[in-house]
Amino acid sequence: MNENRRQILEMLAAGKITADEAERLLAALDPEPVSVGASSAGTGGGRGTGTKAIPKYLRVLVEADESMTGNKGLTTVNVRVPMQLLRAGVRLAALIPQQAHNQLDQALSSHGVPLTVSQIKPENLEELIDHLEDLTVDVDGKEGNQTKVRVFCE
Amino acid sequence: MTPNVAIVHVNYPHGPNFRLWLPLFLLWVPAIVLAPFILLGLLIACVISGVPFWRSVGAGWALVCSLPGTDVRVATEGNRVLVRIL
Repeated sequence: MNENRRQILEMLAAGKITADEAERLLAALDPEPVSVGASSAGTGGGRGTGTKAIPKYLRVLVEADESMTGNKGLTTVNVRVPMQLLRAGVRLAALIPQQAHNQLDQALSSHGVPLTVSQIKPENLEELIDHLEDLTVDVDGKEGNQTKVRVFCE
Repeated sequence: MTPNVAIVHVNYPHGPNFRLWLPLFLLWVPAIVLAPFILLGLLIACVISGVPFWRSVGAGWALVCSLPGTDVRVATEGNRVLVRIL
C-alpha cells in the first residue's frame, strides 16, 4: 500500500500527473486501508479490545479449608469442563420429558436453587453459553473461613 | 472427536500411587457389536417417555464427543486424584 502511494507521489513529483489527479488516485486508494482496517479489527485488531478469544473451557476452582470439609489442611478441587460439554449438556437437558420438569423444578427449589428447567430451550442455548463465557465468579470466605471459589472461562 | 484415552492418577502420601491410562477407544469394539441392542433399548425408552429418538441420539453423541479436554483434580490431606479425558 505504501508502494502505491509512493508511486503516485513520484508521478506527481515527476510531473506526470497533476495534483488533482494525484488526489483522486490517493482517494481511490483510501477505501482499501479502511477495509483492511475493518478486517483486521476482527482478527489482529480484535486482540486488544474488540473481539476476544473464544473461551474453550469453563474452570471451577475451589479451595476449602478445614471448617468446610472436616479434613486436615486445604482441600482443592480444580475442574476444567469444555464449553462443548456444557452445550451438549444443555441439549440433553432440553430433552427431559415435560412431566419430569415439575418434579425437577420442585427438587431444585427445595435445595435452594430457583431454576426452572423448562425455561432452558435449545433456541436459547447459544445465548446461554455466550453469556456464560463472560462469567466470572469469585467467592471468598470471611470471618476466618479460607474457602475460595472461582468460576471463569478460559 | 470421541474420547480416546482417560488418564487416572491417584497419589496417596503414604501408600501406593496409581497411574492408569485407560484406552477408551477399545470400547468401540463392544459398542459397535452391541449398538443394535443399545439403539433398540434407547428407542423403546424414548417411545415410552415421549422423547424424540434422533434428538436424544444426537444429544448423547454430542455429549460423548465433547468429553475430551475434561480435567478434574481433587487434592485433600495429601491425597490427590486426577482424571483427565483426552
